[in-house]
Amino acid sequence: MYAYLEAELDKLKTRLIKMGTLVEEQIEFAIKTIFEENLELGKIVIDRDDKIDKFDIKIDKLCQKIFAIGQPVATDLRLLMSSLSINKDLERMGDIAVSIVERAEHLAGHTDLLKKIRLEEMSQKVLVMINKTINSFINNDPDLALEIIKSDAVIDEMDREIFNMIINEMIENPSLIKPGAHTLLLLRYLERLADHSTNISEEVIFLVNANIIKHRKKLDEYLQKHAPELLSGTQTDSEKTEGQPNLPDT
Amino acid sequence: MKFSKITVHNLNLFYGKKQALIDNTMDLEANKITALIGPSGCGKSTFLRTLNRMNDLINNVKISGTVKIDDVDIYGKNVDVVELRKRVGMIFQKSNPFPKSVYENVAYGPRIHGINNKGKLDEIIELTLKKSALWNEVKDRLNDSALGLSGGQQQRLCIARALAVNPEILLMDEPASALDPISTEKIEELIFELKNNLTIVIVTHNLQQAARVSDKCAFFMLGKIVEYTNTRKMFTNPDNEKTLNYVTGKFG
Repeated sequence: MYAYLEAELDKLKTRLIKMGTLVEEQIEFAIKTIFEENLELGKIVIDRDDKIDKFDIKIDKLCQKIFAIGQPVATDLRLLMSSLSINKDLERMGDIAVSIVERAEHLAGHTDLLKKIRLEEMSQKVLVMINKTINSFINNDPDLALEIIKSDAVIDEMDREIFNMIINEMIENPSLIKPGAHTLLLLRYLERLADHSTNISEEVIFLVNANIIKHRKKLDEYLQKHAPELLSGTQTDSEKTEGQPNLPDT
Repeated sequence: MKFSKITVHNLNLFYGKKQALIDNTMDLEANKITALIGPSGCGKSTFLRTLNRMNDLINNVKISGTVKIDDVDIYGKNVDVVELRKRVGMIFQKSNPFPKSVYENVAYGPRIHGINNKGKLDEIIELTLKKSALWNEVKDRLNDSALGLSGGQQQRLCIARALAVNPEILLMDEPASALDPISTEKIEELIFELKNNLTIVIVTHNLQQAARVSDKCAFFMLGKIVEYTNTRKMFTNPDNEKTLNYVTGKFG
């Protein structure tokens, strides 16, 4: 019976890795669509979103089957629980890739502005973060996951700075109000991608160490034990977006 | 406040030259259900039987270490074994009702402990059969042979027979392994209710059952307790790798 369960769990992990690498590529293409003004890549992103949705459903169904038939416990149970959660985050990241692409035509001709306000730099940092996130899941690496959680603070700091820069640009040059509004959305999408990466990293830590760190108090307890130097570097969602309006995810 | 009903210290048991239990120490809490799990031949049933000296009935058994119930060593010189087994009841894998009526099965224990008054016995039997969740099914056939009951009913009758002498501890050796899922569920519900008044130790091969009914769980391997912890921890994040491999089904 365990051989069956093991094979199904392997299948689950393989599917998640495939989905994760596809999502990573979708985001990379979406960012290139904006910064290289490459609308062909954007079309690919939109076409492939359906594939991600199929992965999402397939993974949910596989988890359901394994729960019902395999009745997993301990590490196997944690793999299933974290897979369900990671699946949800990846699916949302896929949706965000499409939302980014949808900003492309509104931002066409404004790449200089995006570069000036360091949005391209932020997008590259987010890409690195996502790549590391997928790797931490593939290799069951809680240390790398912790590093990602740390890097989210850098993204949040950039988010605050860039938000103010966009507002200032719009005040100085009212003709930028329309692209500025789309830039604000793009900024929020990038910040959200980093948040989803952080969520996945938290799941990797739960999967490997059985520590639940998805809320501030739990995260602080974990950091106190495993990386006290990071204690001041993390923020809650409300702290991250203080003073900013609530913009939609997608 | 938690307190230990049973305290086992450095317990060793030999069947002739073969050592079946190796230096085991554990405290079993009062009014809790403790499950003993482990692969076949790991010593869990032997351990269970040391708790009411059932191993005394086997030739060539040698025991060292102590087993205390309420701080009294049950292997002490002045211990009355009959009285001990009244306090520590036992249920076996295969139900073993006497070839007598339902009524006589339950009345047997109280009678040998000196209760012969019919009214008092009737009262005990009704109360005990109710506690065993069997009363509604057998109240109209108390004088029928117990052997005519279904397997699940026979097992609950055996539990009633054990409860009739007001034990403080109930030892159960795979009590539901020969039963269908519905009878198993009834036994499990019963175990859960009984823990309000009793300390229960259960040996089971069914890991899901251990996870469902027990508060604490001990994993045995090759005569030794490998891990003894809260059931939730045992099935979510055990400390020992051998335990992890066993509960996830990688061996056993």
